[in-house]
Amino acid sequence: MSREAAAIPVVTPPIDIFEEAEGLVLVADLPGVSGQTAEIQMEESRLSLFGRLGFEIPSDAVPVHTEFAVADFLRSFILSENIDHDRIDAKLASGVLEIRLPRAERPQPRRIQITTPESGDGMD
Amino acid sequence: MPIFRWGQAFEAFADLEREFDRLLQTAAASARVGRLFPPINLYEQPNQFLLLAQIPGVTAEALDIQVADRQLTLRGERVAPDGVAETQFRRRERLGGPWERTVALPDRVDEDGIAAEFDNGLLVLRLPKTKPSVGRQIAVSEGSDTLGSRPVSSQKLLASRSQPGSATGTPEDQP
Repeated sequence: MSREAAAIPVVTPPIDIFEEAEGLVLVADLPGVSGQTAEIQMEESRLSLFGRLGFEIPSDAVPVHTEFAVADFLRSFILSENIDHDRIDAKLASGVLEIRLPRAERPQPRRIQITTPESGDGMD
Repeated sequence: MPIFRWGQAFEAFADLEREFDRLLQTAAASARVGRLFPPINLYEQPNQFLLLAQIPGVTAEALDIQVADRQLTLRGERVAPDGVAETQFRRRERLGGPWERTVALPDRVDEDGIAAEFDNGLLVLRLPKTKPSVGRQIAVSEGSDTLGSRPVSSQKLLASRSQPGSATGTPEDQP
């Protein structure tokens, strides 16, 4: 049976979220997931992280003792608008995914110069 | 105003489910330690045992694996993000700091043949089973062959017992 056809359970990975000057950092434990099998999706304001386990239990293996589910990982979040979606950056090392979520820079208030006939062109 | 909204029904349910799961796991695994790290699964195959451990955030160099007297000890340290103060955390579910875990290995494991793979934070240990001892035929010799079918005197028997190497032979060496 192919992996897609089999019912692969999905578990919620544990995460940390902390604040930095530039924005937020999200760290997720995805043991057994490589950079090729991890996926981050940004849809509207929903950030989803998905990790496919790169290990398959042999079919002749009988569980003797089980403390964790051998499963793919999935978790999603709703991000507010002040995250700059275009600058979201992620890296994966030793089964830990780190996603940097920079705050969108607020547009600075701009002073609009009002030109009057006195300050207009042509005056020396 | 939080940047992340957790109020979603689906997410809340998943979290609840996970917590419940964890509760069951810890209750089953150990009453002493709240959360075991790293979590370990053990499987049996015809020729070997397969041990999986989830150890994300630890490099192969920093992972210490020792086997002695049927005890497997895993040791390492998970480093918390550098220079991040407690107050900066909005959510903290991952475990950090030094850890150590010792588990008893199943019987019939060939400790010298244990092979370890550690990729992306998932440890895979293959523990080959010891070869089952082959049923060996133990030859029973009747005194000395030179005696043939002649009746064995009690004196001869006593003599052969006192010299086990000569008369009775060594059964282990026979094919």
